[in-house]
Amino acid sequence: MSEQAFDLVIIGAGPGGYVAAIRAAQLGLKTAVVEKAHLGGICLNWGCIPTKALLRSAEVYRLMQHADSFGLASPNPGFDLGKIVARSRAVAAQLQAGVKYLLKKNKVTVIEGHGRLAGKGRVAVENGPTLSAAHILIATGARAKLVPGLEPDGDLVWTYKEAMTPKAFPKSLLVVGSGAIGIEFASFYSGLGCKVTVVEMLDRILPVEDEEISAMARKSFERQGMTILTSASVKGLRKEAGQVCVTVEAGGKSSEITAERVLVAVGVSPNIENLGLEGTGIKIERGHIVTDAMMRTGEPGVYAIGDVTAPPWLAHKASHEGVICVEAIAGLSPHALHPRSIPGCTYASPQVASVGLTEKQAKEQGFDVKVGRFSAIGNGKAIALGEEEGLVKTVFDAKTGELLGAHMIGAEVTEMIQGYCIARTLEGTEAELMQTVFPHPTLSEMMHESALDAWGRAIHF
Amino acid sequence: MTAVSRQFASPLARRLAAEKGLDLALVAGSGPHGRIVKADVLAAKPGAKPGAKAVAVIPAGGIEAIPNTTLRKTIARRLTESKQTIPHFYLSVDLDLDQLLDLREKLNQRAEGFKLSVNDFIIKASAKALRAIPAANASWTDEATLRYSDVDISVAVAAPGGLVTPIIRRADTKTLAQISLEMKALAEKARAGKLMPEDYQGGGFTISNLGMYGIKSFSAIINPPQACILAVGVGEKRPVVRDGTLAIATLCTVTLSVDHRAVDGVVGAELMAAFKKAIEDPLGLLL
Repeated sequence: MSEQAFDLVIIGAGPGGYVAAIRAAQLGLKTAVVEKAHLGGICLNWGCIPTKALLRSAEVYRLMQHADSFGLASPNPGFDLGKIVARSRAVAAQLQAGVKYLLKKNKVTVIEGHGRLAGKGRVAVENGPTLSAAHILIATGARAKLVPGLEPDGDLVWTYKEAMTPKAFPKSLLVVGSGAIGIEFASFYSGLGCKVTVVEMLDRILPVEDEEISAMARKSFERQGMTILTSASVKGLRKEAGQVCVTVEAGGKSSEITAERVLVAVGVSPNIENLGLEGTGIKIERGHIVTDAMMRTGEPGVYAIGDVTAPPWLAHKASHEGVICVEAIAGLSPHALHPRSIPGCTYASPQVASVGLTEKQAKEQGFDVKVGRFSAIGNGKAIALGEEEGLVKTVFDAKTGELLGAHMIGAEVTEMIQGYCIARTLEGTEAELMQTVFPHPTLSEMMHESALDAWGRAIHF
Repeated sequence: MTAVSRQFASPLARRLAAEKGLDLALVAGSGPHGRIVKADVLAAKPGAKPGAKAVAVIPAGGIEAIPNTTLRKTIARRLTESKQTIPHFYLSVDLDLDQLLDLREKLNQRAEGFKLSVNDFIIKASAKALRAIPAANASWTDEATLRYSDVDISVAVAAPGGLVTPIIRRADTKTLAQISLEMKALAEKARAGKLMPEDYQGGGFTISNLGMYGIKSFSAIINPPQACILAVGVGEKRPVVRDGTLAIATLCTVTLSVDHRAVDGVVGAELMAAFKKAIEDPLGLLL
């Protein structure tokens, strides 16, 4: 096989890899990206994007069901599952074509196939060329984590992939795991009328979120008809014709739940296999590749970003790490990514979004905190929208005014969290948030009021 | 003048500095456009004397503030760091250029498409000397002295906005013609501001030549992390004493600045001896 020479070869074209490739091209590096499945990776094809399309359908459906409260008539709203799924796939396909165009426009060489390290400065592509490069970036992402006894079968026991492309709409669904992925699917199916049960091992759902937000989300989901079991674990399952009997243990008591489908969403496993990592200086810890702040691995000239590295496993973290990594390679001096500045979003109904430390974490880390809260019920726009359910909570360092964390639940909070992210990046304090003019009437006024409330100055409460 | 004196710092950095009693003027900013951020304040030492603040004296006749470019700032930072942290010592020798100039003229009569400069010979001779004295092709780090296997020569080129140092890589393995053509291309790129990172990143030894400006001799500041830089003066006819009588020869004074942490005096002297021999017996550069 011929050998092609590059400055940088990236293995994996997900949101980490393709963004890194484009940034590298901008910086004048001759760049190739090796992808074995789809440009855009899981995020674009089987994750973030197609699920947002599904959830949009569920959201519109929910509004149609409440049409009367807006003075509109929408008798007997219904849905066509095939069309909902087809729209979601079309959205993914459109964006995949977009990534292809962007890579081409930036003169990034795209090579299809499975890439693996093959000696110093070399990447071998299965049934393809061998590539040489001074710098090699591993951006292979992660896949759904498997649980013994709950192996997905593509029919009754699902991963996110089957849940995204159901052939028929199940009447009941049991979701194992209440992180963002589990909760988004729970919300989608529940919103369309499926009887959903969520089983979570920890004592609350959305366990990475602030406790107060977790509790509010739980109440809201239960009100919508979801069954939520926390401090609960699945002990086994029995498959029957068209349904699964799942044994769930909670509080020392065992019970059996029957559901037409089971979705396993208990996290992800980094893709570190068959990459030629053996015999290199690359260190693996708890299944992921260890890197420094500039994304260098233990092997000189080899870097790793995104889901194949340490958590949080989020597309925007992967992209940002890709940019940092490539800029450092090109001799710029990028700032390291601050873990407290990476937002997280869950697009359920209601939405949940957060950045930084929870109130509990901040106290545990010894901060003297000031906490602000503002409820949607005090916000004019929320009431006009018919979205009175929501809370914006802010956690400040009482001494310096640093915004340590922000936690939001309610309509459009995933679009608003960036305001607090910018405040964090600019190292703003409560004073700048208070002095900022927020437009009226908007949901974002809750963000203003929350900061004011932390100092006892909220106006509309 | 406000644009010049304004101190850019994040609100959090300002508040932390006030708490620590720290004058922000004494803190170097690592944020975008040199903005002072929280991490800079946390890293700064408290109690620094505000009196130490450098205040620009503005003469009555007015003053023009030329904003510093990123390149200018990088040069300033690196040279300050070099001169303040590297223990420099200097070795000067006079080179007899007559044979070299004679050879250069003969070669240029035969050359097609290029013209060898004295500097091309100096690059080649430096590379040959570094290959002979590998201990001088090195960099100091706290953990180890790094010795380079390749002889990569950085050559200082004046570009708009500041000095750049594109690299002739593995110069010891290249012919004078190759070096000449490559140097011409790099210098053109440098002047056009089109150098790519791979053109100037790395290098183990630098040559700075001010001979064309009539400078007799000078001492250059080491280009970190390298350990040596060679400052080349003008080639000019000077009286010399040969076999007890006065004669005229074309001489050139060169001065090597050396990082004493990585390279000792004797090694530096051996390098200069090898270099002088390569220049004064230039036929060896054709081998």
